[in-house]
Amino acid sequence: MRKAKRLTYFNYVLIILVTLIFIFPFIWMLIASFKTQAQIMSTDTALFFQPTFDNYRSVFGEHNFLTYIINSFIVAFVSTVFGLILGLPAAYAIAKYKQQKLGFVILIARIIPGISFMIPWFIIFTKLNLTDSYTALVLSHMLVGLPFIIWIMIPSFEGLPAELEDAARVDGCTLQGAFVKVLLPLVMPGIITSSLMSFILSWNNFMFALVLSGEKTKTLPIAIFNFMSYSEINWGALMAAAVIITFPIIIISLFVQRYIISGVTAGAVKG
Amino acid sequence: MKKKKTSTLLLFFIVLVSGLLFACSNGNDNGDGSVELRFIAANHPWTEAIEPLLPEFEKETGIKVKFEKYFEDQLTQKLTTEFTAGSTSIDLFMMRPLQEGKLFNLNGWVADISSYTDDADWEYGDFTDPSVNSLKADDVLFGIPIVTEREILYYRKDIFEENNIEVPKTVEELMNVAKLLNDPANDFYGFVARGQSAAAVTQFSSFLYGFGGDFFVDGKATLDTPEAIEAFQFYGDMLREYGPPGVLNMSWPQAAGLFGQGKAAMYTDADSIYPNLTDPEKSVVGDKVGFTLFPAGPNGQTPYNVTSWGLAVNSKSENKDEAMEFIKWATSKEVVAKLQDNGVPGPRQSVWDNQQGTDTFPSELVDVINQANAIGREYDRPLVIKVNDARDIIGTVIVAAIQGEDVEAAAKAANKQFQELLDDEK
Repeated sequence: MRKAKRLTYFNYVLIILVTLIFIFPFIWMLIASFKTQAQIMSTDTALFFQPTFDNYRSVFGEHNFLTYIINSFIVAFVSTVFGLILGLPAAYAIAKYKQQKLGFVILIARIIPGISFMIPWFIIFTKLNLTDSYTALVLSHMLVGLPFIIWIMIPSFEGLPAELEDAARVDGCTLQGAFVKVLLPLVMPGIITSSLMSFILSWNNFMFALVLSGEKTKTLPIAIFNFMSYSEINWGALMAAAVIITFPIIIISLFVQRYIISGVTAGAVKG
Repeated sequence: MKKKKTSTLLLFFIVLVSGLLFACSNGNDNGDGSVELRFIAANHPWTEAIEPLLPEFEKETGIKVKFEKYFEDQLTQKLTTEFTAGSTSIDLFMMRPLQEGKLFNLNGWVADISSYTDDADWEYGDFTDPSVNSLKADDVLFGIPIVTEREILYYRKDIFEENNIEVPKTVEELMNVAKLLNDPANDFYGFVARGQSAAAVTQFSSFLYGFGGDFFVDGKATLDTPEAIEAFQFYGDMLREYGPPGVLNMSWPQAAGLFGQGKAAMYTDADSIYPNLTDPEKSVVGDKVGFTLFPAGPNGQTPYNVTSWGLAVNSKSENKDEAMEFIKWATSKEVVAKLQDNGVPGPRQSVWDNQQGTDTFPSELVDVINQANAIGREYDRPLVIKVNDARDIIGTVIVAAIQGEDVEAAAKAANKQFQELLDDEK
C-alpha cells in the first residue's frame, strides 16, 4: 500500500514536470504580453518585471481586434453549422449504405493541398462579386471542416445498431424524424468533437482567409500580422493578440473536453 | 417516392446556397459615381504615416482611396494570387522592387508609367538616381520609390570613447576594433550582424561590393571569384570570432535586439531600423548609438543604397490616371517631407537637403545618409526572378563561412547552383 502511494507521488511529479515543459511556450506568451519590447528582449526581466497593459490596449484600441474576433467567430460558427447540416446526413448515408467509395471521394478534398484551390476560387468569387464577403470565407472554410465532420461521424453512425432506426420507423417516425429524434442524440459526443475541430480549423485558417478576405472581413490569423512590419516587430502586442486568439478555444475545449474523448473513441470498440 | 426525396433535398440545397449568396453579397459600387482606388499596402511606417494625410488628397481630388494592409510576405502572396487570376480591382499597390520587381515586370502586372514623368510640378528629377534605378527595366519606369535604405554601421559611442578608439573607416579597422572590444566572458561582443542564411544576404552585399565582388556579371554567376570568397571569409570570420553565440539564427530582429540590449559594440544593417535601437522602449542604449558610413573595403566604399519600397499601378486597372494622381500626391515634395518627418527615409534629395524634412532623424544619421546618397549600389540582392531561391543558395556560403568550414568549396558549389538558376531564367 505504502509503495503504491509513493509511486503515485512520483507520478505526480512526473506529470507536473511534463506539463510544465508543454505549457512553457504558452506561459512565455502570457508573460510576454504584459511586457514592453525591451523587457521581452532582456533576460534580466524574464520573471520579475513591471507589468504593462499597453499591449492589450493597443490590440483593442488602435488595432480594433474586436472586429476581427467577430469576423472569425461568424465565419467559424456559420461554416461549422452548415458543415453539420450537410455532413451529418452524408455521414449517416455513407455509414448505413456502406458507400465507402463516396467517402473516399470526399476525403480527396482534404488530400489535395489547399493552396491549389486558391486561384480558381479567387476567379470564381471575383466573378460572383463575393471577395471580401463572409459567404466566400464560409464556403471555403467548409472545405476544411466538412470532410472532417463526415469522417468523424461515419464510425459514430456505424456504431449504432440498425434496429434503432427500424424501431423508430415502426413507431411511426419518418426517416428524417428518426434521424433527428433518435439517432442524432445518440451520436452527440461525435457531433461535439467534430464541430469543435471544425470550428478550430476554421478559427486558425490562414491561407483561404488571406486571399478571400479583405479589409471588412479580415479574420484573426491575418490580423495578427498587423504587428509585424518591415522594420519592426511589436512582440508585446503580438503576444497579447496571440493570447486573445487562443483564449476562446481553450475555454471551449476545457468545457467540452470529456465529450471529445468519448467522441474519438466512439466506434473504436464495437460491442 | 425516391425521386421526390432527391428533388426535395436538391431544392433545400439550392435555397441554402442562394440564401447565402443573397444575404452576404456586397458590391464595390459607391453609388455616387466617384472613383474609389483599391490600394494594397504593406504594414510599414510609410503606410501608418500617410493614412492620416489621406483626407487632404480626397478633399483635393475627390478620389477615394481604400487601404488594405498586409505583412510583406502575405502582401506578395495576395498580389500574386490576384494578379494571376487577372484581377482588375486592384488599382495600385506597394511592392519591393528588389524582391519582386523583376517577376512583376516580366509578368506584365505593372503598368508602364514612363509617360507621367514630365509633370513639372511633381519634379521627377529630384528623386535620387539609385532610388529610381531600382524601379526601371530597360528604361521603362514601372514604379515610383517611396522608401529608401542604405547599409550603415551602428556603434556604441560610449564604449568607443571609454576605450579611446576611432570609428572604423575600412573593413580592416572594423576587424581590429571588433577584436579589441570583444569580451565574451562578460557577454559582450565586438560585432553583430545577420547570420541567418537567406536573411544575411542583403547585409552581406555591401561587404561583397567592398571587396570587389558581385553576385553575377552579364549572366555569369560570380560567387566563387577570389574577391567574393575573400568577402565571404571576412564576414564569416567577423561573426565567428567576434560575434555572439547563436548568430546563425539571427535576422535583424534578433541582431537589433542584441545590440539594443547593449551586448555588442558594432552592428551593420539597414538604416531604416534605427528606431529599434534608439527608442528607449525597445533599447537600453538609446542615447549611446552612433551612426557612421559603411566602412570601405579594399575596392572602395560601396554600401548598397536601395529603394526598399515603391508604388506601382496594376496594368489591368481601370483607373490608371487616378492611381497616378495618388502616386504623384504621395511622392510630392510636401508629402515626402511630412512622411520623412515621421521617420520614413524618402527618395527625394531636396527633402534630405532641407532642415524641416530631417528634424526627427538623429543629425549624425542625416549626414551619413546624405553621404551615402552620393555613392552606393541600387541593389542589395541578385536581381533575378527567383530571388528567394538565389538568397537561399548564397546563404549557404555565408553559413559555411560563419561555421568555419571550407569557404572556397562552399562558394564553388553555390556558384554552380546559382549559375543553373540564372540559366533557367534566360
